Order: sequence, then structure tokens, then C-alpha cells
Amino acid sequence: MTLIVVMLGVPVVIPAINAWMAGPSLPPTYLPALEGPRARAAFQSTRLSELRYLQPGYVVIGDSMAGTRLDERRLGELSGTAVAPLLQPGSGSAFWYLALKNWVIASGIKPRMVFVFFRDTNLTDLMFRLDPQFRWALDLTALEREEELNALVAKRIRPFHRAHVFLDRYMAVDAVRRRLEPAVAEWPAERLIASRRRRTEFMSLMNERLGFDHLRPMTAADIQIGDAPDFDFERDVDDSVLPLMLRDAKQAGLTLCFVRVQRRPTAHRPPPQSPELEAYVAALRAYVTERGGIFHDDTGDPALTIDMYEDGDHLARHARRLYTENLYNRLRTHFQ
Amino acid sequence: MIFHSLDFIFFFVAVTALYWMLPHRAQNILLFIASYVFYGYIHPWFLILIATSTIIDYCAARGMEAWPQYRKRFLWLSVISNFGMLGFFKYFDFFIENVVAALGTFGLAVDGPALRILLPVGISFYTFQAMSYTIDVYRGELRARRNLLDLAVFISFFPHLVAGPIQRASFLLPQVESRRRFVPEKARSGFILICWGYFKKLVIADNVGVIANKVFALSDPTFYILWAGVFAFAIQIYADFSAYTDIARGTSRWLGFELTENFDHPYLARSPADFWRRWNISLSTWFRDYVYIPLGGSRGGTWMWVRNVLVTFLLSGLWHGASWNYVLWGLYHGVLLVLTRAGSFAVPSPRRSGWITVLQIAGMFLLTLVGWLLFRETELSAVVRDLRLSPFGVSELDRQTGAYLFLLAFVYSIPLWIQSLWVELRRAPALESPPLSGDLAPWPRMALQGFACGLALAAILVLRSRTSLDFIYFQF
Repeated sequence: MTLIVVMLGVPVVIPAINAWMAGPSLPPTYLPALEGPRARAAFQSTRLSELRYLQPGYVVIGDSMAGTRLDERRLGELSGTAVAPLLQPGSGSAFWYLALKNWVIASGIKPRMVFVFFRDTNLTDLMFRLDPQFRWALDLTALEREEELNALVAKRIRPFHRAHVFLDRYMAVDAVRRRLEPAVAEWPAERLIASRRRRTEFMSLMNERLGFDHLRPMTAADIQIGDAPDFDFERDVDDSVLPLMLRDAKQAGLTLCFVRVQRRPTAHRPPPQSPELEAYVAALRAYVTERGGIFHDDTGDPALTIDMYEDGDHLARHARRLYTENLYNRLRTHFQ
Repeated sequence: MIFHSLDFIFFFVAVTALYWMLPHRAQNILLFIASYVFYGYIHPWFLILIATSTIIDYCAARGMEAWPQYRKRFLWLSVISNFGMLGFFKYFDFFIENVVAALGTFGLAVDGPALRILLPVGISFYTFQAMSYTIDVYRGELRARRNLLDLAVFISFFPHLVAGPIQRASFLLPQVESRRRFVPEKARSGFILICWGYFKKLVIADNVGVIANKVFALSDPTFYILWAGVFAFAIQIYADFSAYTDIARGTSRWLGFELTENFDHPYLARSPADFWRRWNISLSTWFRDYVYIPLGGSRGGTWMWVRNVLVTFLLSGLWHGASWNYVLWGLYHGVLLVLTRAGSFAVPSPRRSGWITVLQIAGMFLLTLVGWLLFRETELSAVVRDLRLSPFGVSELDRQTGAYLFLLAFVYSIPLWIQSLWVELRRAPALESPPLSGDLAPWPRMALQGFACGLALAAILVLRSRTSLDFIYFQF
């Protein structure tokens, strides 16, 4: 008993240490169901003015699936209008929803179509890429309060996760972590480089050296793939951002075009799909089209051959132009 | 269910609370149900495999006793069914891939059946454990059990089900069969082991694992970056695997069981033989008793001994996974053992001077790192490339990056080194008798241990990695 009492007593000093270090009080998060207060990246409001200035005919939202596929310049040439990419590698449906709501719609622009690129179940998998390491990107698109997104997240999180939120909120764990982590990461650099300026430069170069461009092709692909969830469209759709995206787009007079990208084909065949996944995609297609959206599925397109793929699901640079022209041809009626 | 989840903590607390309210037989029923819930938590169909293995081994052992003239046939039934399951789930895709590749070299392009078989976690551990039972019964070292429930608990006992330590039937089965009582002292030491295990997993292994993953994901590593990554992986795999063992042993103590130790500070080994006395002890003794000795061991001359060592290590490598790099890793350690024994150098001796010991430890650690490179690098072409990297002509950025990653991994590993050195110098049994408390009265000792556990808990809260990684040995 003594052991447990003393043990539990030690972590109580964490909030005391935090208070003693007298950091600025943290603002409440826009996802209180998921996390306690934390320092966040600022909302990227410059996107609004950029979009207003560009007045694009087409907007593309997505992650690296879109980034490695679509050649926006070529699409601009084909369609005769500007194309605005709003891409974030390692993003998920929450980011795409907020980008649509807080950037595209809030800017007041009226593009002819807004493309949203996704894989398989991304659109109804709300928790995909909502882990802490992806949240800084979400910050760029999020306002101070995101009630609807938070309500959806609250429905999705498991009861045990509330213990984490409790620790963050009342033990100031996250605040202490945010001070400790940079200190630990900085310590080896301080041993190696005395000058603060050179140290900062080194850290930046090192991050680049270990970054995405230096990864093995298959690793780069695997990093982008989340665990395949089970497929049940009806179960998941109401707890996802898809209805909100379709509703908001409709209210703003925008047309959403959801593009399901094809995963890496096997030698001479499209990637295998389970009957459950096929049923899921059919239900998704029906749902989107019934609500005024456009649904396009790359899967099985004979023009998308394995030599276009650089690794898992990413296309090679040389294939972007080909892919864009192919997409334009497949959706020609919608472009006119 | 995984140890480092809140699900498990609630599960374990609930099971333990209920467990001590029940009589012995009901305790075993509860353990059986809890173990199957634990194992089937993610993929319930895995239960079919473990149940099948249990029933076949139960019947085979009973058959051996009932019809002694057919003992060998029953043993084969057990061996073939266990290895059959293991072979299918673990090695089938590997086998097909290699057959297709071999045919390809003769110009025969064949599309092999890509079954993409999902490997049931822990299958390598429980099949080996189950086989130890039937082999021991076959040898007459153990009598066949009549109670299927007891055997099922022995095979599926949840604390060590998915990543060991592999227990012998002669050690664990009697504990399943006898009455257990709650011993506060065992519970206390178990609690300390659990705290230390969680600390090692969440603070050390997961943080250095990020460094290792980063380096081994690079397409163009250079010498210093690569070896910093290998060092990080060495720390990760030890912290990770020994953490699992500690949590397994700690939780078992709360249920009144004792599991064997699996690690004895392996990075302080002074020779390959010494390393294998300290690393994954339960697996290496399994291979020693059920492969190496039946092959003839050191009887039959030098060449037979060399063959037996190499075969044992090759199989041990293959046990880790269906990939050539594991085979290479096993062979590498086998060759090291043969060479060091043949040369009769680097044999640990307590009488040697301190400096020689330090050099032996450092040398063995470097050899171990080469082994971990073979273990971690899954593509043979990458292994060759890595081993060809030169320390010369590397850019300053890459040198500094390597030094940075090494220092970062080293910082996280400091508690491991301190513990290992402390235990090695005093030869005390690990953290179960923590350093500062040996001569203290009970109350201050508990307070001190509570304080250490509290520090571990605080460190877990504020220093745990943001990237949660699975236990490495789950994949084996």
C-alpha cells in the first residue's frame, strides 16, 4: 500500500512543476473530446486571400495520393482555368473537411468543382490520421472551435481514451511534454554544435536528410497507408465528415467530386478487392451521387498501369501528366 | 490485447480481483476464459488454432501413455500438427515466393498463389511450448495430464502467451495444478517489474524505435547514420522484448505464478556463448534441449559439433521469421560461436582483469550490432550495401546526423545501462531487489521503491513516445 501511495504521489508534482515553470496558459483545443489544452499552430488564413486572388475554376483537396497524381498546371491547360491544390501529405478526412469549410467555402470563391482524393474507406474513417503527429497539420485548417467535428470525434473515441484526456487536462501532462521533448531533442545537438544559429541550421538540414525524399520507395508508400479498417459504410457514414462535406458544399453551391484512387495494381491486374470493400464502395458511390456529388473510381481503369507507380500507391513523377489527362478525359462531361 | 493499452490494464485488474475470490478449480476456469479473451480480442478466429493445438497435444500425450508401443507415432502427430500450423501460417508465403523466384531464374515465369496469410500473433511461442509438453511426455520426463483444462491454461496462460518467455511444462504445469495463494511480497515485486517493464517499453523502446525506423527507412544511409540506427535498434529490441518479459512475469506474480527469467543483461556478455546464456534464455534453452542435444550436442567430434551448432542457430534464426535475413542472422551467431570456441578466446573468466573484461564486452557488443543489422535489414541487397559503407568520405552533415542519432538513442538507454551495470557488478537479481534499498527497513524500502515506480510513471506520462509501436516479438 505504501508503495502504491508513494508511487501515485510522485506524478502529482507534474502540474506543480508546470505551474512553477509558469508557462503561458494554453488555449482550449478545438477538439476537447480528443485532447486537453495544448499549444497549436495558427489557422492558415493566408489561404483565403490566395484563393480569392486566384479565383480557381477547380480546387483539389487531398493527401499525397492527389499530390503524386494530379498535375495542376496540365489540368489548368486542359480545362482553361486555374487550379488550386490544397494538399497536405499525411492528411485524412478531418483535414479535408476543414479545408473545404474553412478555406474554400470561407473564401467565397465559386470553383466549378472541388476534387477530393481518397483511398478506399478514408472518407468515413474519421480517426484516420487524427493521431497527435498529424494534428499540427489539422491546426492549419481549424478555427478556434469546431463543434461539429468535435461532436463526431466524441462519438468515435473509445471510453478508455477519456483517461488520456483527463491526464492532459488535469495533470498538465501535455504542457510538460511540450517543454521536455524539445529539450531532450536539443541536448545531443548542443553537445555537437555550440553555436545556436548553426544548431538550428543543422536540425533543419538533418530533418531534411531523414525526410520523405530520402525514404525507400516502399517505405514511403507504407507510411501513407493506414491500417485497413473493416468495411461497413452504413455503420460509419453518419459518424464521419462525409455528410457535413456534402451538406456544406451544397449550401455553398459547390460541386464535390470524390476521386477514389487505385491502389498499386498487381502485375497485370487491378488490385484485389474483397466483396466487402466492393459493397462499401458501391454504397459510398450511391450516397455521394444521391446528394449531388460526383463519384469517380480509378480502380480497374486500364490506363493506370503498374509502370506508372513509383511505390505502393504513389505515382511516379513522369506519370502525373498522363494521369491528369486520363482523369480529364474520364470526367470530360463534368469539365464542360 | 496488448499490454500497453488501457484495455489490458482494466482487463487485468478485473481478472485479478475476481481471481482471488475463487477456489482453485474456478481460478483455472477463469484463467482459461481470460486467456482466450485476451488472445481472441482482435481476431477471434486465432482461437481455433490454439484450441486445435491444445486438443491435439492433449490427445497425443494421452495416447503415448495409453499405447506406449505407438509413442513415436503420437509424437509425430504432435510435431507434424504443430509444425504444420506454424509452417502454413508463417512460412507458406515465403516458400512460394522462393519457389517462384527459383523457377524464374530458370526462365519459368509462374504466378504463385499469393495467399497473404495473416500470421497469428504468438503462434511461434505457444506451439513451441505445447511441443515441449508432448516431447517431455514422450521422453518419460513428464506424465500425460488427464485434465484438459489445466493443459489449456498451461498453453494459453495470457501473461506470456504472445511473446514468451516460453515455459516448460515441467515448470508451469505443476503451478497450474497446485493451489496458489496471494503473497504480498510477490505481488509487490511483481508490481515493480510491471512498472519497470512499462517504462522500458513506452519510454525507452518506443522512443529509440522511432530513430531505428527512421534510419532503416532511408534509401541512402551513410556509415555513421546507419550504425547509429543499428545501435538504436539494439536498444529498442532489448528494451522492448525484456519489457514484455517483465510485464509477463510481474502480472504472473499477481496471479500467484512464477515465470522463468528471459534476459540477463545480454549487452554485458563477453562472448557469443555468454550472449546466448543471457539473451532470450527460454528460447535458447528450448533449442538446446530439443534440437542441439538430440542432434548429438558436442558428442561425436568437432565437425559434428560444428554442424549441430550451425543447424541449431539456423533453425533459431528461421524461428524468428520467414525471411532470409533471419536465417543469415542465425547462421552469423552460429559461426561466431564456432569461431570463438575454436579459437578459445573471449571465454568469460571472472579472474581476468577489468580492462580485458571491458574490451571483451565492447567487442561482443560490436559483434552483436552486426547481428542486429542482419536481423533488422529485411532485404539482402540492402545488407550487402550496408556492410560496404565506408566511414570515410562521408559528408559533415551525415557525420553529425549519425552522432546526433547515436547520442539521442544513448540518452534514452541510460537507465538500461545503469541497471545492467549495477546488477552485473553486484550480481543481484535485477530490480526485484532495487539498488538503494537492500539494507533498509521495510517501510523506507517500500517508500523508496514507490518513489522509483512513481518516477517511472511520471516518465511514462511525460516522456513516452508519441508513436506507439507494437512489441517487436509479436511478429514472430
